[in-house]
Amino acid sequence: MNPVVRTFGVRGALLGAVLLLASGCAAVGAYSATSAGPPMPVREVLPNGVVLIAQEHRASDVVAVQLWMRMGGRDEAPDELGLAHYIEHMIFKGTPTYPPGSIDRLIEGFGGTSNAFTSYDTTHYDFVVPAEHLRATVALLADLAMNASFPPDEIEREKKVVFEEMNLVEDDPDKFLVRRLYEVAYAPHPYGRPLLGTREFIERLRRDQLLAFYRKHFVPKSMAVVVVGAVTPGEVRSAAVATFGRIPPGSAGRPELSPPPTIDRSRRVDVQRPEQQAYLGLAWKTAPTGDEDIYPVDLLTYILGDSPSSRLNQAVRERQRLVSSIEAGYGAWQKAGLVTVNARLDPENAEKAEAAILDVIRKVRETGVTEAERQRAIITAESSYAFDIETAEGLAKAYGQAETTWTLADEVAYLGRLRQIGAAEIQAVARKYFGDDTYARVRFIPTGPPR
Amino acid sequence: MTAGTRRAAALGLVGLLAVGVLVVPSAALAESRRERLDNGLTVIVRENPVAPVVAVSLLVKMGTRWEAPATAGIANFVHAVMVKGTAKRTGAELAEAVAALGGKISATGDVDYSEIRASSLARFWRDLLGFVAELALEPTLLPDDVDRERDWLLSRVQKRRDNASSRAFDAFYAALYGPHPYALPVLGTPESLARIDHAAIVAAYRAGYRPDRMVLAVSGQVAASEVLAEAQRRFGGVARDGAGVDPPVPAPIASARRVELEMPAQQSQILAGSLAPPLDHPDHAAVKVLSTILGGGMAGRLFAELRDKQGLAYTATSYYDPVREPGALVLYLGTAPENAPKAEAALLAEVERIRRDPVSTEELTRAKGYLLGRYAMDRRTNERLAWYLAFYAVEGQPPDFPERYRQAVEAVSTADILRVARRYLATLTTLVVRAR
Repeated sequence: MNPVVRTFGVRGALLGAVLLLASGCAAVGAYSATSAGPPMPVREVLPNGVVLIAQEHRASDVVAVQLWMRMGGRDEAPDELGLAHYIEHMIFKGTPTYPPGSIDRLIEGFGGTSNAFTSYDTTHYDFVVPAEHLRATVALLADLAMNASFPPDEIEREKKVVFEEMNLVEDDPDKFLVRRLYEVAYAPHPYGRPLLGTREFIERLRRDQLLAFYRKHFVPKSMAVVVVGAVTPGEVRSAAVATFGRIPPGSAGRPELSPPPTIDRSRRVDVQRPEQQAYLGLAWKTAPTGDEDIYPVDLLTYILGDSPSSRLNQAVRERQRLVSSIEAGYGAWQKAGLVTVNARLDPENAEKAEAAILDVIRKVRETGVTEAERQRAIITAESSYAFDIETAEGLAKAYGQAETTWTLADEVAYLGRLRQIGAAEIQAVARKYFGDDTYARVRFIPTGPPR
Repeated sequence: MTAGTRRAAALGLVGLLAVGVLVVPSAALAESRRERLDNGLTVIVRENPVAPVVAVSLLVKMGTRWEAPATAGIANFVHAVMVKGTAKRTGAELAEAVAALGGKISATGDVDYSEIRASSLARFWRDLLGFVAELALEPTLLPDDVDRERDWLLSRVQKRRDNASSRAFDAFYAALYGPHPYALPVLGTPESLARIDHAAIVAAYRAGYRPDRMVLAVSGQVAASEVLAEAQRRFGGVARDGAGVDPPVPAPIASARRVELEMPAQQSQILAGSLAPPLDHPDHAAVKVLSTILGGGMAGRLFAELRDKQGLAYTATSYYDPVREPGALVLYLGTAPENAPKAEAALLAEVERIRRDPVSTEELTRAKGYLLGRYAMDRRTNERLAWYLAFYAVEGQPPDFPERYRQAVEAVSTADILRVARRYLATLTTLVVRAR
């Protein structure tokens, strides 16, 4: 409810684990075979370069209106870390048309919700409102994309909020472990950056820095507007052309990004933490979005660590009792993917648990996975995707993510492709990516005496 | 859900129980079909083609409304034991079997009903319905499970008592409802849980799980005629056994009481409220709008005045949930201990103001938009859609309830607000939990 609680991070749902930072373009797909001719999204590029994606979706009387930007943490200069996320907060602080505070009240007055997310490759701004407010909401979103005011006093006030967000992440060991894993695995590559930024930079952050970044990146060519709900594509088009269609074209400001380097044994960090339990996180660099390997990597991640019946749970938690919880997640980004394995455990078991995890993976490399495991993983993937897209905002998110980090066509074909992946291909990606030495490691070690 | 409330959110209006097969026009595109099996069990199916998923909500008329101080919490207790195993498999095996359908299953007690809730990939709807039937009709209810679940429930009761806002709400309902069973906590009390034994659990299960007390709702990418046939196959064989008439429930008595408690906490809790109409009362929609004007979101009066302007509270909201018997309109503040006396006075001043001055048209319009928007927002997933379908049926409301409710809300006038504020906010029960 509080408008300032704008979570950063992306979906990890498809990826088998609820890891906040794990993103997944892999989280895409098509309808099940039982679906009788599902509606397809309508995609159009407006003359100024804004991509418009619309789909009628009448599960309820609401509409999801989202703006996806081809802009994220990776587009910051090394000395301005946290700008993309800060802009995400400031966008809602008003325009000349909508004074500070009025945006949240407007959306709330509709009975709707607003939210926004920043990740490495993208940021997106989301509204869900009753369908009758489509035009007003599209107009509001376009105004935010063009005319954000960045009021100086609001910039200062928001610093406290962002610091609080940093504290919240640091206080939550599960979230912080994933955050640290990305940093340890990839720094100084942009995928190894803290998306919330550094305290030092945020403290000194000035309005002109925000404005320059905003003007550089909020250009039509970087925008994808996704509208899904109880509306027709015609209605969406009419609302978008009159607003987003009028933004003057500009040149896209995004530089090319090279993939992060290979991970080696040097990427290991131990962190002293106040919790009673220890945490162990391992991460392997895997397939980026757009790579054919995302399908078997996705299935392998489910087989390794999605459910109580997964391999890591059965071996490391149930049989060897080395951890109290363990899960795997897959974040697929445009230039690299990262599969993470996270466990909570007693500190004295840290070495043994790591060896046991490596054993489980070694066994997959050597003897592969069973047909039953493969089928179960496909059902889990399907289910995760299907429950994501049952709401208008979930489907819009899948489309927006695909459009900005992959392609809409791949998204729609995803589940069909996934079903064709055989056990041999799953074993092949285990051999290709999951080495005994090619992982990053973060351990949280309790500072207090063990219980 | 906010720690305070204990009831699911839904809304209501007048209606009669519909029987037989009928096709129902609804606000959204999809239609629902409702059928009553020969044994009295109601089945409702909504075809929702947008995603390959299905959700099932089986509501049974057992809950706080049928409990007494000695049996408080028994409906929820029964469901906690039910999920521990069926004639065919253990609870863990059941969970794993449903997970293999890409789904999940659970069971809980509530105020006017108890629920078995399940969902999965749509193409497994038949298996899913089978598991729901198995859990509903063939639970083993083992004595050992009763003892284990009692311990777990006792720990949850303790946890709830340690939480300032949930303790405040429980104490408030107790003070407001007096002899009426809505005074009792859904989880029960340490005394009642200690007294409920295996025989009582089995007896309560048998008294509740009768076909004429059950409503099965299914929403998702399914064919209604197939689901209706399968429901007949799975549930049609349950014998109708001449279930007795529910005993009369003692009426609550409104009284201007003020109760004060003390407990270690960071915040003080202030609740003021009164008895309000049940969901089938002609004033229900107007009181929903009244509640929204006072406590609906950031523009609600409590938030705008007490938090934004006067800085007297962190949390400032209102609750009015739809129930079969008299409802409760509750105004709720969470505040710093030093601000508590001022906050309570300011809350009462807001009550006086809305009973004295008509609201503006603008405020009324905003409140209606917020209320109906939230209502639409709450019916986005098949899980919620299935629950709403079953809920209205179990409360005896007609299938076109959502549309009638929407029209009733739209029709509420400023005069209606003044009238219901004067009528329902005349006698306030107040409960304060002081932090120490």
